Amino acid sequence: MSFIVRQIAKRADGSDIVRTRTLTATEISVGRGTDCDIQLADLGIMLRHARLTLMPGGVVALEATGGIPLEIDGKFLNRAELRVADRPAINMASHRLTLVPGDSIGDGPDMVEITAERVIAASDAADAGAETEIFSLKGAMPTRRAMAWVLAAAILLGGLLWPVLMMTGHEEPVPEAMVAVAARPGSTPPDGAMIKTSMQPDIVWSSGALSSAHAGLANSCNACHLEAFEATPDRACVACHKPAVVPAHAAHDRLDLGRPQLAGSGLVAAHVKDGLGLEGGRCASCHKEHEGAAAPANLLEGDGGCAQCHDGLSGRLKDTKLVNAPSWDEHPQFRATLVRAAGAIPKFERLSLEKAPQERSGLIYPHALHLSRTNAVANMLRKQGLPGQNGALGCAYCHQPDSDGVRFKPIEMEANCGACHDLAFARDGEVVRTLPHGKPAQVAGIIRDFYLSQSLSPRAGVSRLSFDRKRPGVVEALGASSPAQARGRADRAIDMIFDKQGLCADCHQTRNTGAANAAARWEVASVSLNDHYLPLALFPHKQHRTYDGKTGEAACLACHDGARTSKVSSDVLLPKLATCQECHGGSEVRTNVAATCDTCHVYHGDSGQPVGAGLPVVAGKPGHGAWSGGGSWRPEPLAKAVAVERSARRGAGLEG
Amino acid sequence: MAGTRTMAGKAVSRAARDVAHEGFLTHRNMRWAKISAGLVLFCVLAYALVDQQPRPNGGTVLGYFLGSLGAGLIVWLSLIGVRKRVITRGAYSLKGWTSAHVYLGLSLMVIGTLHAGFQLGWNVHSLAYVLMMIVIISGIYGVVVYARLPAQLSANRNEATQPQMLEAIRTLDRQLDTAAQPLAKAEADLVRLSLEECEIAGGLGARLTGRYPGCGNARARDAVQALVRGQMLVGTPDPGLQQILFLLERKEAALAQARRHIGMKTRLEIWLYLHVPVTIGLLAALTAHILSVFLYW
Repeated sequence: MSFIVRQIAKRADGSDIVRTRTLTATEISVGRGTDCDIQLADLGIMLRHARLTLMPGGVVALEATGGIPLEIDGKFLNRAELRVADRPAINMASHRLTLVPGDSIGDGPDMVEITAERVIAASDAADAGAETEIFSLKGAMPTRRAMAWVLAAAILLGGLLWPVLMMTGHEEPVPEAMVAVAARPGSTPPDGAMIKTSMQPDIVWSSGALSSAHAGLANSCNACHLEAFEATPDRACVACHKPAVVPAHAAHDRLDLGRPQLAGSGLVAAHVKDGLGLEGGRCASCHKEHEGAAAPANLLEGDGGCAQCHDGLSGRLKDTKLVNAPSWDEHPQFRATLVRAAGAIPKFERLSLEKAPQERSGLIYPHALHLSRTNAVANMLRKQGLPGQNGALGCAYCHQPDSDGVRFKPIEMEANCGACHDLAFARDGEVVRTLPHGKPAQVAGIIRDFYLSQSLSPRAGVSRLSFDRKRPGVVEALGASSPAQARGRADRAIDMIFDKQGLCADCHQTRNTGAANAAARWEVASVSLNDHYLPLALFPHKQHRTYDGKTGEAACLACHDGARTSKVSSDVLLPKLATCQECHGGSEVRTNVAATCDTCHVYHGDSGQPVGAGLPVVAGKPGHGAWSGGGSWRPEPLAKAVAVERSARRGAGLEG
Repeated sequence: MAGTRTMAGKAVSRAARDVAHEGFLTHRNMRWAKISAGLVLFCVLAYALVDQQPRPNGGTVLGYFLGSLGAGLIVWLSLIGVRKRVITRGAYSLKGWTSAHVYLGLSLMVIGTLHAGFQLGWNVHSLAYVLMMIVIISGIYGVVVYARLPAQLSANRNEATQPQMLEAIRTLDRQLDTAAQPLAKAEADLVRLSLEECEIAGGLGARLTGRYPGCGNARARDAVQALVRGQMLVGTPDPGLQQILFLLERKEAALAQARRHIGMKTRLEIWLYLHVPVTIGLLAALTAHILSVFLYW
């Protein structure tokens, strides 16, 4: 009846030291205490931890004496009886006791061999890695290589791969409201137009906010970036901004010719851009995007220099009809677009105001006569109770501002002249019969019919009103003895209406063709009234309603000072450049109002619109066809009228 | 840094050249500091004098120039990781390379900022800029700690090597273990606190702050101290327990020295854990930045 105890300890080099003892007793104690039969130096073990009692039949009774249960086959027990033949193992703290029958090594059947060894290494086990773990950051951080790979992979995935996949396989639509706004430039985009579509992965490539006009495109990169590695082409721009609405400044080849040769840093910059595939002359060469949420007009590259090309332009662009404009101080005198020959398609010509040019509108109209406070016009004004200014017919009686206050409504005979120059020719009871304006053949026919009907079937209360102001009060006899006499009277009446003393000749030049038929005998010269003398510039009249402390009529006459004295309509009453330069100019001008090129001119487009109101909208704008074509005036379909006007102006040399 | 070690090796083998030690900051009479300052001055002047429309940024011709310069510098600067692994002969010493790395890296702060035109946004371009600044600032930190910490580290070590510091603690542990064998469970458990629940280094936070609030040794020392004081009030304290207290206090002192050493080593190394991985991240962001600009040209 004995135990064989084998205690295994580790050497520093890792090999085992085995100490074997034989204890002849039926009961042995295990613990940390020095009085124990099996002493285990393990602070997790109680001083007296357990007692083992050898029982007959190869059974060992186990009892925990330290108050800590013993772990046997994963179970924690205070008391157990173990069959030695099962080779049980008892765990206590860091140590393990393994029991095997002694006879396995030939010591007799009632011997039990106990192997005690430390199975959990002591905490101070020194290994080569410990020093590095403790003293370098390797023990506390993931490796730098791992962090680098993870970071780089995440960046390449989110910043390059994902956007590229979206770019190649997905087209984000342009918000429809924005396309509609682009067709009507100058109008304020409705709030809805700026509602962006949903965010796309390529948003991470956006180098800055889009301009206020393009804010709604923020997620539609493909609207402008059509092809990879291709600089934003013009076809992306004109998809929304139709050339009819935003015309080019000039043809590409003419722009190239007009541009001065680059030198120095400008030349270097141009070469760099060329080398990088940033071709010049594109919309995007000037219109910069991703430069912040300002208005597009404030995000231009190279906006500082109209004079770059327009100074000495004629030297480079030999056939240009434009005069060189080096600066505001050296701005050429205004060259007004004047009617040189009235007609269905009037002939225009640009002439410098320096040479006191004459306009040939075909109309007889002395401004001085109509602005007098003392003559028959002033009397008529009073009698008829017409609106006037200080007892005279004011400017505004005829020149009424158009809806945007930039220019004036077209002059219409019925509206502007008709109150005095009425065309009444007969009284028929309560009805005053009038002649149609602008239709000489109709007039002749109506007069002839009137006389013939009165001669054949005279009616009471019908009388002819005389146009002849030399013979007031004379009432013409209408009865006739024969149709031939009546016809003779009618022909005379027609001649009197059209001839030099007649009604028409107050305002029109008439010509007797000598035709036998009185209805076809008279021609009235065409009248073409100018509606835009300086069509290459913008002059918003409403912004000049006060001038030099003057308002109203006085402000008009401050610039158009010839109006009071002008006796013929061929006088051109436009102010010269010097008048503008009284206020607009540099520091030497006391008012110091801006005088940059774009104060008056726009880059895209050839007709005037107020500054800041955007570009002209051709379709749907009322009031075109503003000239009156005299006797042969016909309303033109709008688009045709615009085309005709443009072609006429082109003939006058407006488009260089 | 491997560079410093290599330098030291060269100083020994080529004593004739390096009679007096010259650090990488003052290498060749600060040649690279002067070159970098000239480069920065040139870029600042160009930025101030060139009219960039509509506003300065990477999209103007000067912006392209600054961007190309910056990208070239970034690639060259990151090549120090390759350069330091290659043993070369000849004029291009690693010290000179390191000097250029530091000063050209500093100039990149200005060049990158001018290239960006002082604009930042939530995009891959600004990501590259921010990563670049993190790399440079961590590099500046690295230069500062390399200049200051080694002296403090040496003073703290007090002639002891790292293995010696560890060995001192382990010896105390063994002594504690032996001394605690006769103790009852309650007292033995206190010693086990010191032996089993005492991390010398701990995590990153503990290493940087030097605070080890749950340290088993400190807790064990406090508890044993309380026990000993309690015994002193009623009579003579248990000499075994007094011995334990003495050992725990000595271990506390050894731990404090090792932990100061670890704290300084951490500060000496931590910047590289930003500098190196963020550099690789920067190279990725730079690739995305440049490619995306040309993709959406």
